[in-house]
Amino acid sequence: MSLLISRAASLLAIACVVVGAISYSSTPTEAAKILALKSADVDVYNDALEGFRSGVSQGSTIVEYDMEGDFQKGKKFLARAKSGAKPDLILAIGVWALQVATEEIQDIPVVFAMVLNPPTVIGPEARNITGASMNVPIEQQLALLKKVSPQVRRIGVIYDPSKTGWLVRQADRIAKDQGVRLVTKSIASSKDSFAALDAIQDEIDALWIVPDLTVLAPESVQYILLFSFRHKIPVLGLSENQVRMGALLGLSFESGWDIGSQAAELANGILSGRSVGDIPFTMARKVRLTVNLKSAGKLGVHIPKEILDRADAVIR
Amino acid sequence: MIRADLAILSLRSSVFSARCSQWTSRCLQAVAAVLLILWVGAYASVEAADLKNTIRNLYGSEGLHLEPRPLPFFTQESRFQASSLQGLDQLNTQLTSAIGLPSFSSSVTGFTFDLERGVPLRTTESLGPLLTERATTLGAHKLDMTLTYTRLNFTKLQGKDLNKLELTFTRDDVNGNGIRDTSGPFSFESDIIRARLKVDLNEDIIAFIATYGITSAWDAGIVVPVVHVRLRAQASAGIYDQFGNPGGTKVGDLYVHQFDSSKCDPPFDQASCKRRGGGEETGIGDIILRTKYNFLRNYGGIMPDMALLFEVKLPTGDEGRLLGTGGTNLAGLFIASKTYGRWFTPHVNVGYEIDTQELRQNSIRYALGFDARLLPELSVDADVIGRLKPAADQTGEHIHDLSLGVKWNPLSSWIVRANVQIPLDKNSGLRADAIPTVGVEYLF
Repeated sequence: MSLLISRAASLLAIACVVVGAISYSSTPTEAAKILALKSADVDVYNDALEGFRSGVSQGSTIVEYDMEGDFQKGKKFLARAKSGAKPDLILAIGVWALQVATEEIQDIPVVFAMVLNPPTVIGPEARNITGASMNVPIEQQLALLKKVSPQVRRIGVIYDPSKTGWLVRQADRIAKDQGVRLVTKSIASSKDSFAALDAIQDEIDALWIVPDLTVLAPESVQYILLFSFRHKIPVLGLSENQVRMGALLGLSFESGWDIGSQAAELANGILSGRSVGDIPFTMARKVRLTVNLKSAGKLGVHIPKEILDRADAVIR
Repeated sequence: MIRADLAILSLRSSVFSARCSQWTSRCLQAVAAVLLILWVGAYASVEAADLKNTIRNLYGSEGLHLEPRPLPFFTQESRFQASSLQGLDQLNTQLTSAIGLPSFSSSVTGFTFDLERGVPLRTTESLGPLLTERATTLGAHKLDMTLTYTRLNFTKLQGKDLNKLELTFTRDDVNGNGIRDTSGPFSFESDIIRARLKVDLNEDIIAFIATYGITSAWDAGIVVPVVHVRLRAQASAGIYDQFGNPGGTKVGDLYVHQFDSSKCDPPFDQASCKRRGGGEETGIGDIILRTKYNFLRNYGGIMPDMALLFEVKLPTGDEGRLLGTGGTNLAGLFIASKTYGRWFTPHVNVGYEIDTQELRQNSIRYALGFDARLLPELSVDADVIGRLKPAADQTGEHIHDLSLGVKWNPLSSWIVRANVQIPLDKNSGLRADAIPTVGVEYLF
């Protein structure tokens, strides 16, 4: 009798497993619904969207919308999205789309891509937002400076605390770990950058340009590069353009496509159940290095072959 | 689940329908504009059936005919025919072959990306030049529609005042000695007819220009001009002898040469003959199709943005009515431009235009200038625009103008434009003192 009960129970269990498996396999997997809000129609944003498409879970439905640089358009689109069925996730491409999403969306996960300095847009209270920033990892930047000039111990940074205070605080910690000291000077307007640089000229071995809108006024950048040649202080810039203008080195994100694919990985985590609040935003995984050998000659800096081999562009 | 699917579908369909309704609205506006243009273009004055040949036919299709004279004079009626036909025909060709459309540029609004700041930049910042091209394009799926009005009031032909043109016709050799006798019984062979012409030639052109961004770097566009052309000519011809005496050589009390009263407008005077001719025409001019591809953008350093533009001018304008040139023209243009400090953009355009109807009219086109944003919503531009016809032997071998313009962006998508083109050299070609253009542009 007990054998019968035991076998019947086993049979029932097997039947349940089989029926369950059949019913599970016959039900189509739920496709994620994603709204992609693009700040404007620019190539890098389009590349980022393609990168996202290629990396996001297969079967996801992506509805794309270009807000054409118009905040009202973006807001209207999100309002329409909220009033209907909520999407599973919103992809905000570019800083304008993120600004709109931050204001309008509190209860839907938002993943951003191609945003520089996201903490200046996202408040600390936002628990539904993460993403792939365009920022280059601080560790890589400081390590590059040290590798090119091992004697570098003090790195000067001019920054506006309201724009890149978060970045400089992080950099300060990382610099200590790498055995260098950040010599920081805060400014409130681009006009202050001249005096700030002059004030630290005897205290620094290298200069690091951070992606700070206050510092990046054209006249400030020109003064930084002039300062670099005058005092023979190497500059780590943000872009190939700055390197062409005279900076010794430049590190920037490699491609919009890669940033988009990083965002897709974050989105996949969220869609598979991870809490957005537990996922920190990422920095560029692949970076583009530019070296200016003309500047190196003027500064008397020898660029190691290893760096030159690794460089994506060399200005000779 | 099903509800969510339906909801996302409804969202997609709302986006789709929003796009559709947007596009329907754009299409309707475009169709309305085209219909309006075609309606205006369909109007044609019946006054001038062959406006192009106004000057050639001023004294009739056979040229200047004189009054048959009684014996003992030789019959003189056709003695000035060849010379007058040749002279009038040459002037006619010079004038009409030089009429053409002024330049129309495509728009260059949209965004580029500032890598250092991490934000897109509007390329409408300096609003672009008016008559020349920048390398940047409109932007993917953008539609720009422009309506311009241009006034051309021609005043000079090869440096000569159109109100004071003068043609001299000589007569043929009667006695067959190979020369025009200045003495003896055949001294009347040296008589001439001097025709003073006053030509009033002007054009009003309303151009409808549409440019669409196929991709972020590729534009295609169309220019549909509606042309109103007015050509009126007055000629006053007089007969003179070799010494400049009016009326020409006399035999006794009778003049050897006299005008045919039936070929002159009243009041008739035997020693002079006045004629008027011409008319007005309105219709579609030569439609231009164009496409621009921006193959290098934001390279950095000193490297400018670069683009190639191809243009086809179709012979849609009636040549006989002076609304078009009658041939297909193909043009290719290389464009380079670079923006400095986000407000100053120098640009250069160099290209070649092939006139498939008459290869001698092929021309090298060039433009060099800049546009500059003075205020966020106001820009100015200045260019030297030139056209060189290396093989041409008639009008307009090398014409070059100074173009000065202003663009104002009073509302988000509206741009008001004004421009004046001033000839730098009036000794070549058919020229106006100044060519004003005003227009309004809307970016969808």
